Amino acid sequence: MSEPERVTPQMSSREILDFLRRTPGYFMTNNERDVSQSDFKGRIMPSTTLKVASYRDAAGYFAFEISGGVSVHVDLLRKQINPFEKLRLVRKAMPNTLLQTVCRGRNLFGYRPYPDSTIRETVRLFSRYIDVWRIYDFLNHIPNLLVVADEVKKAGKILMPSICFNTGPEHTNDFYVGKVQEIIDAMGEDIILSIKNHSAVGSPHRIANLVGAIRSRFPNLLLAYHGHNTDGTDLGRMVSAVLEGVKIVEVADHGLGGIYSQAPALSFIQILHDYGFQPPGFNVQPIVDASDILRRERRVYERFETPYRGFDPTVKRHKLAGGAANIAFEQAEKLGLMERVHEVMSDLILVNRELGNIWSVTPGSQIFWTTAVNNVMHGRYSKPSDDLKRLLLGQYGPFPFYEPPEWIYRQVLESNRTDGKRWRQILRDEGGIRKIPDEDFDLKRHQLVEKLKRPVTDEELCLYLQFPRDAMDYLTFEERFGKTWLLPPEVWLRQKGFDEGERITIPDYDGKTHTIDVVSTRRVGDSVQTSLLVDYHFQSYTTPVPKRTAGRS
Amino acid sequence: MFKKLLVANRGEIAIRIIRSAQELGIKTVAIYEETDKAAMHIMRADEAVCIGSGPRKDYLSIERIIQAAKTTGAEAIHPGYGFLAENPNFSKQCTEAGLAFIGPPPQVIIDMGSKVIARKIMQDAGIPVIPGTPVLDLGEAGEKQAVRFAEEHGFPIMVKAVAGGGGRGIRLSKDKDELLKNLKVARSEAKMAFGNDEIYLEKSLINPRHVEVQILADDHGTVIHLGTRNCSIQRRHQKMIEIAPADLPRPLLDRICETAVRAGEACYYLNAGTVEFLLDEEDRFYFLEVNTRIQVEHSVTEVVTGVDIVREQIRIASGEPLSLAQEDVTFRGVAIELRINAEDPKSNFMASPGVVQIYMSPGGHGIRLDGAVYQGYEIPRYYDSMLVKLTVYGFTWSEAVDRLHRSLSGFAIAGVKTTIPYYKQIVKDPDFISQNFDTSYIETHPHLLDYQEEVPEMEKLASLVAEINAHGYNPYAES
Repeated sequence: MSEPERVTPQMSSREILDFLRRTPGYFMTNNERDVSQSDFKGRIMPSTTLKVASYRDAAGYFAFEISGGVSVHVDLLRKQINPFEKLRLVRKAMPNTLLQTVCRGRNLFGYRPYPDSTIRETVRLFSRYIDVWRIYDFLNHIPNLLVVADEVKKAGKILMPSICFNTGPEHTNDFYVGKVQEIIDAMGEDIILSIKNHSAVGSPHRIANLVGAIRSRFPNLLLAYHGHNTDGTDLGRMVSAVLEGVKIVEVADHGLGGIYSQAPALSFIQILHDYGFQPPGFNVQPIVDASDILRRERRVYERFETPYRGFDPTVKRHKLAGGAANIAFEQAEKLGLMERVHEVMSDLILVNRELGNIWSVTPGSQIFWTTAVNNVMHGRYSKPSDDLKRLLLGQYGPFPFYEPPEWIYRQVLESNRTDGKRWRQILRDEGGIRKIPDEDFDLKRHQLVEKLKRPVTDEELCLYLQFPRDAMDYLTFEERFGKTWLLPPEVWLRQKGFDEGERITIPDYDGKTHTIDVVSTRRVGDSVQTSLLVDYHFQSYTTPVPKRTAGRS
Repeated sequence: MFKKLLVANRGEIAIRIIRSAQELGIKTVAIYEETDKAAMHIMRADEAVCIGSGPRKDYLSIERIIQAAKTTGAEAIHPGYGFLAENPNFSKQCTEAGLAFIGPPPQVIIDMGSKVIARKIMQDAGIPVIPGTPVLDLGEAGEKQAVRFAEEHGFPIMVKAVAGGGGRGIRLSKDKDELLKNLKVARSEAKMAFGNDEIYLEKSLINPRHVEVQILADDHGTVIHLGTRNCSIQRRHQKMIEIAPADLPRPLLDRICETAVRAGEACYYLNAGTVEFLLDEEDRFYFLEVNTRIQVEHSVTEVVTGVDIVREQIRIASGEPLSLAQEDVTFRGVAIELRINAEDPKSNFMASPGVVQIYMSPGGHGIRLDGAVYQGYEIPRYYDSMLVKLTVYGFTWSEAVDRLHRSLSGFAIAGVKTTIPYYKQIVKDPDFISQNFDTSYIETHPHLLDYQEEVPEMEKLASLVAEINAHGYNPYAES
């Protein structure tokens, strides 16, 4: 039998891992999902993804990360797309590339822990399409990964547990090697271990040092590196990682990526070429072609790109994950806090230190940022969020290095208590990881059927279990307005009406082209009447729009 | 041959008649009521006359229709089906006005319109009829007659209006109490529906198959048949799906057809008609009735025989002999016809009037459409809800079913609910595919109503485009 040139979804996870172990060189995963931490990445419509799918598929990436993290929720919330359907579309368009997701352990694709039954059902259903499960816990508390890991293995998919990486006196090689040992003890060595450098911290030297330490202890372990280019030096870290034996590195299309995304694939290939490293089975031209298309397509999303374009070497101090900093800036702007943002950033550094110098990644990054903002606006720890309380109570897991000072416990846990309990008592009574009771799936299904007045699929139920209100809104929307993934982004993200004579061209699932021609727009009282030619058939729609709300100022 | 013909009908049958007339070089006159002025048959005819404000009453006005024929110089009137098609006075007054009535003479319509007389004529001709009674006496005497009949033949029993037809004026009784109650109800219904409260009883067959034979009879003493149709799939005695030929052994088919010709001869039939039979579980067949008109389902017969029945009707009415003899009639393949109505099957087939916003129809080999609908047409609520009649041909039953499936998927109709999704369910049903159906099919397959409404994806997206256009931004993308 001839040696395959690349991994494909048709191979078993065992075959894939064996192929990676015996094939010299390095592999790349294109992470479109993580192309930015700003609003931008949450807006990219499948229409754009599908436009370049054939090029990406031809390139020969190890995997394509298009699901997971916040994207599952955002698909429902802002794109009105079924995250499962998105995966079906991508799978059809990229039949030769593994699909990858990132999952927050017990928190799945959300911000708080889910019951075991919901976790298992979600992993089982997503595994219909997902080949590689990159999983992490923001406290590096390995038990939080076990239910997901177990279900991924049952599904026969590739398990990629991560160690979240950070810098500081506590973040020693010994600590991380110990975590890797914990992972191996729980999951075995038929995994790919990922180093998750979400905050883009550490120098190339530090990364090389860490990889070396892990490799010397676990020489046969397959390693992957996930980083961000926030500070402009991730190419250096990526190269160091590969030189030290990392097998898979996450990259971005140069036409789509930016300061907060992964570094560009092509630049990475060019550097490693001079070191004599090649990506096996990889074709460069398709990534050039894909980026040419993405550059043009990207203009449609212009208004969602972060207004803070420069590199951010200060990430080493504030440590906000990837581009969480730019979301933070955007939020600060909305809150009218821009004048005081330097105060927030300074407080954030303090918060990081006070809250255990852990890992500023979801949901930790949100907790830290919100805490810093509230500290500046309302006084330090005087308006704690519920999630901060959960963190201090250890409901996400234990602090790995040290616990916050007692005054913070007191301030946070005793805040808004009506029972007069003191923080130590609260910690005793409510602290620690709680077993969350399983959901009654039959009851939930019945609720959903009652609301939708039709049978529901397992996938729809799964979305409802995770995001009850937003899944419901989405399903109602989809029934009324159809599949938004068919729409070009310039229609979905439209910010003005359509001109008479304007034509919208829509390719459908089967590749057939449909057209909607705008004939006329007429205001009649508190309604707008839009006449369209839909596939050359005249249709007229009346939309109630009170005059005062029509159009956006 | 006539030079000008008035079509005393509307909808698809009016257009169907106009087509054959135009092929014969005959000018056509359409009539319409004010409430039906957008109907397609008006556009298809050479001339059109508004016969009144409507709705419905003017299409039933013999006087106005004959006047329209006189005014336009029409020499003949084709009544189509429904409206005045089986009204003997219409046939009579046309003749008296010097107009050729394209249908049987009044006496045949009277005889066959009376279920009791028709049964008597057929019995005298040795044609098997379902056991039944003469017209029941009024009051207690009638009740006694009914009970005696029930004791002799057993239940179930049909109470039928003498003047009934098309499934109307029929009541099924499963026991004595129900029978006595139905006698009163049926009599009062018959009075209201037909202006004639005469009723009679017939033994009801259990889940019979409905088989009918198309006959043609000219004024030169020739009666021929054009084979059978199976019209078993009915909803409340209204036919929904018709098939030609009936799926019966050849010798049985031959006997039924020969019997139908004898029935035509026995009642001195003239023009096109349909002799209907019921078949019991042991393949015994009984005369049911003669329909003295062209029928909706005539298209399946035309498709498997190649004979243009309307063309023959016009020729017969003009005094010409039939253009073909019995031995010239050959049958090839299978035809299935569906009535695609603007109705909501999920709401008890309630009519769904409204504007047809999108209308796309299928085409290709083996598909015939007799329609009266166009995009933008507002379906009036006053008339029947048929949008288009779909007839498919297949060399075999299975080929015809495959084609039916394709045809139904080829329709795109928006703006009104239609029976298409329901038919799509039927076409997939294993019992239908294996031809395992009788008159109980619809009521024994209620799960066929369990389907999702399909709104074309582009229509949904277009409504989103309209929403974005109206707001000046996409309210669903902003958060």
